[in-house]
Amino acid sequence: MRPDEFDVIIIGGGITGAGTQRDCAMRGLRTLLVERSDIATGATGRNHGLLHSGARYAVNDPESAAECIKENMILRQIAAHCIDESDGLFITLPEDDLGYQQTFVEACLKAGIHAEIIDPDLAKRWEPAVNPDLIGAVKVPDCSVDPFRLCAANMLDAKLHGGQVRLHTDVVGVLKEGDTVTGIRTRNRGTGEERNYYAPVVVNAGGIWGQEIAEMAGVKIGMYPAKGALLIFAHRVNNMVINRCRKASNADILVPGDTVCIIGTTSSRIPLEECRNVAVTPDEVTLLITEGIKLAPRLSSTRILRAYAGVRPLVSADNDPSGRNISRGIVCLDHETRDGVKGLITITGGKLTSYRLMAEIATDLVCQKLNVNKACETAVKPLPGSEEKSYEAVARKIWETPSTAQKAAASRMGTSASRIRTGNRLDEALICECEEVSKGEINAAIDRLEVSTLTDLRRRTRVGMGTCQGEFCACRAAGLLAKAHGCVDKERKDIADFLQERWKGNFPIGWGDTLREAEYTQWVYKHVLGI
Amino acid sequence: MRFDTVIVGGGLAGIVAGLKLQKAGKNTAIVSTGQNALHFFSGSFESIQEPPKEILDIFAESGIRLHYSPGVRLMPMGTFAESTLSLEDVSIFPDPKIGRRVLIVNFTGYHDFFSSFLAEGLEKQGMECRIRFLNLGDLTQPDLGPNEMRAVQIARRIDQVWDKLVQEVRVLLKDDDTVVLPQVFGLSDPAIPERIRQGIPARVVFAGTLPPSVPGIRTQMLLKRRYEVLGGTYLMGDRVTGAHVFEDTVHSVVTKHLDRHYLEADHFVLATGSFFSKGLISNPFKIFEPIFELDVDYDPDRNTWYNAGFQEHQPYMKFGVKTDSSLRTFRKGSPVKNLYAIGSILGETHPELGTGAGMAIRSALQVADQILKSEA
Repeated sequence: MRPDEFDVIIIGGGITGAGTQRDCAMRGLRTLLVERSDIATGATGRNHGLLHSGARYAVNDPESAAECIKENMILRQIAAHCIDESDGLFITLPEDDLGYQQTFVEACLKAGIHAEIIDPDLAKRWEPAVNPDLIGAVKVPDCSVDPFRLCAANMLDAKLHGGQVRLHTDVVGVLKEGDTVTGIRTRNRGTGEERNYYAPVVVNAGGIWGQEIAEMAGVKIGMYPAKGALLIFAHRVNNMVINRCRKASNADILVPGDTVCIIGTTSSRIPLEECRNVAVTPDEVTLLITEGIKLAPRLSSTRILRAYAGVRPLVSADNDPSGRNISRGIVCLDHETRDGVKGLITITGGKLTSYRLMAEIATDLVCQKLNVNKACETAVKPLPGSEEKSYEAVARKIWETPSTAQKAAASRMGTSASRIRTGNRLDEALICECEEVSKGEINAAIDRLEVSTLTDLRRRTRVGMGTCQGEFCACRAAGLLAKAHGCVDKERKDIADFLQERWKGNFPIGWGDTLREAEYTQWVYKHVLGI
Repeated sequence: MRFDTVIVGGGLAGIVAGLKLQKAGKNTAIVSTGQNALHFFSGSFESIQEPPKEILDIFAESGIRLHYSPGVRLMPMGTFAESTLSLEDVSIFPDPKIGRRVLIVNFTGYHDFFSSFLAEGLEKQGMECRIRFLNLGDLTQPDLGPNEMRAVQIARRIDQVWDKLVQEVRVLLKDDDTVVLPQVFGLSDPAIPERIRQGIPARVVFAGTLPPSVPGIRTQMLLKRRYEVLGGTYLMGDRVTGAHVFEDTVHSVVTKHLDRHYLEADHFVLATGSFFSKGLISNPFKIFEPIFELDVDYDPDRNTWYNAGFQEHQPYMKFGVKTDSSLRTFRKGSPVKNLYAIGSILGETHPELGTGAGMAIRSALQVADQILKSEA
C-alpha cells in the first residue's frame, strides 16, 4: 500500500472520531484521522464532562437512557483514569413537584439505572454543598469524565495500533470517482501544504461541521446547532454530580471535575454560521449563576473561572425551537443506501457518554463495507493509562512515596505516568503551579500526544487551567515547547494565542478576582515581559 | 495616634508622597498591606523619560541610582522596548544591538528566565548568541530544590557568592563581547550588579525574569528604609478597614491591627492601587472604592468594560476614583476636602499624568505639593 492509502479515513478529532479510529485500528484496519484544529475542540471539550448514568433521559428518552447506563458501566472499566466515580444526586427543591420523583425513579429502574430514593438529610451528609432546603433526593450512578483525557487516550491507542493522525489539517475537498468517494484533499494549517489521501471508506465524524463535510461529497444532512453555555467555578465545591429532579431544563446540572466544578447548560438554537465562534452572553451568565446557586448555594461566593459554550451536533428531526426534545440518539448514516454515494459514512448525534457505542456502530459498518470480519473489542480492552483502577496505587508503584504533584500526575495520566522520566530532580520542577504539572509530565505529553501549541498542551495536561489561567505557566511551558520543536519564533505568537484563548473565557465573567487576575496578567505580559 | 498626613497604600505612589512630605518636615504614616506593583516592576518607570530633578534626588538619597538616555532596552522575551527612566540595572542602548557576540548565562533548572527567547530575539537583530547554564549548586550549598528556582530564592543565595559567579562567567567567556544575565542580583546590596559588571571583561546586560522582580523588591526596601530614616511610620502588613468621615472631612482611619487606635490626620492620601491591589473592587453590578466609598468614574453597563482582544486596550483600566484637577476625591457627589487619590487607583482619569509608574510618581509629587502648599 502507498503511504497515502488507507483502509479508512476518519474526519474529525472529537471523541467520536478518535473512538472510531481506535476501534477501526484495533480491528486491524489502516487508519488515518484528520482534524482541522486540535483534538476535543468541538462539542467534545465544550460540555459538562458528565458521564451520564442515563437518569436525565430516563423519562423522555428511555432508549438513550438505556444506552447511557450500559456505556457508563463499560467506560468505568476501560477508561478508569479519565473517570471520577463520584455518583450523582437528583434533588427536589421546595419549588419543584415532589410527585415527579416517583415517575423519575420508575423510569430509571425500567432503563436499568440503579436509582435510589434517599433521605434529604443523608443527601446533605454525602454532599455538604447541596442546597439544604431540598425536600427530596435520589442517588444515581452519574460520574464525571475528563473529555480531553478520554479523547487523547483514544487517539494514543489508535496510534499504538498503527493509526496515523494529522491534527491542524483542514479537509478542503472530498475526492470522488463517479458516485464513489475515494479519499480527501487536505491542507495543513501550519505549512499550507495540500495533500490527497485515499481510502475506500471515509467516516465523517465532524460533529456540527459534518454538514459541510457531507456537502463536499454532494450529500445533504440537516444539522441542528443547539448552543449550550456553561460556567467553570475555581473550586471543587461539590463531590457528587448534582441535578434537579424535574423535566430537563436550563442550568440544572453541577458537575465536579478535577479541581473545579461546572454548571450548565443553557440551550438555544443558533445559525450554523455562528458555530465557529460561539460567545457566552451576559444573560446566559446571569441565568447560569442564578440557577446554579439553587443547586449549591455556596456557588454564590465562589470565584468563577471561565465561561464557555459548545454546540450539540444534533441532527434535525422536527421543528423544535429549543432543541431539548430532539433525540440525543445516535445517528449513523450510510450514504450509499441513503443518497447513493458509496464509501461515505456519517456518524453523529449521541453524546460523550455513548461515544464508544457510536464508534462501534460506525466501525461495524466500515468493516461490513470492507468485508472485514473482526469483532469489536473496545468494550473490554482498557485504554492506555487505564490498566489499573486506583491512581494512588499507580503512583506508589512508580515513586514509592509519591508527592502530591506526582499523585496528581498519576490521576491525570493513569499508568502512562510511568513514562514520566524519573531519576533527574530537574524533571520534577513544576511548570504549572496551580494544577501541579511538572516538566516531566509536559515532556511526556509532547513525546506521545501530538502537541503543537500551548493550547494543545493545556488539553492534555491541564497546564493553564487553574486559578491563574496561564499567567506564569504559559511562558515556562512555551520554553519547553520551543526546545522540543526547535522553534522559538513560533512560540512567541503561541503565547499570545494562548492568552487570547484564556481571555475569551474570562471576560464574560470579568469581575472580582477574575478581573484582578486578568489585569495582572495583562500587566505582566505587556509591560514586564514585553509580549 | 495623630499625624500630619496618613497615606493608605505603600507602593511607589504612596512611598514617594511619604518621602516628599517627610523631607519637608512633616510627620506621616503609611499603611501598607505588604505587596504592591513594585514587586512586579520591570526596572523601568513607564511613561517617564527625562526625569524631574526632584525624583532623581529622592531616589539617590535612598541609595537608588536612576538613568535615562534615548534608545531601547532589552525585554525578557528577547524583544526591545523604548527606553524610559530606569534603574541602573537596566541597560539602555541607542538601537537594538547590544553587542556582536552574546553569551547568555542561565541557571540549570531555572524556567523563569527565557534564555532561548532572548537568543532568538537577539539573533533576529543580527547578533550571534550562545546559551550556557551554570549549576547554582556548584556556587552555593545546599542546592535549591526544583521548585525553589524562583527569582527571589535565587537572589537570596547568589548575593553571597557573586564573586564566584563572576569567576564562572569568566571561564565561559570566549570571544563574546556581551554577557546577558538574569535580574536576580543585588537583593541585599544594591552595589552588587555594578560589581558584577566590573568583574566581567565584557558588557553585562541584566534581563528581566518572571515576577517577583528582584530589582523591584530591592527598590521597595530601599525607599521604605529611607522613609523610616526620615522619621516616617511605615505600618507594614496592616490594612485600613474603615474611615470616619464627617461631612466633607476625613477625621481618621481604622486599621486591622491597631484596633481602636485610630489614625488621625489633617490630610489623607489614598494610594491603594487599582483592581489587582483591591483599591477598586468590581462585582457583576458595580465598581466601588471599599474604604471611603468614594465616587468612581466608570460605565455601569458591564458589557462595555472589556475588549474581546486580550492585547487590546481594556476599557475597565480607564476606570478610577473621581478627582478634581488637584486630585481631591469626591463622595456622594461632593468633594472630600482633605482626601487625595494618587497612583493607579486614578485609572486613566488624568491622562496628563501619564501611565503606570510615571503616573504614580507625578500624582504623588503633585499631591504632596498641594498638601504642603495648603499648610504654608
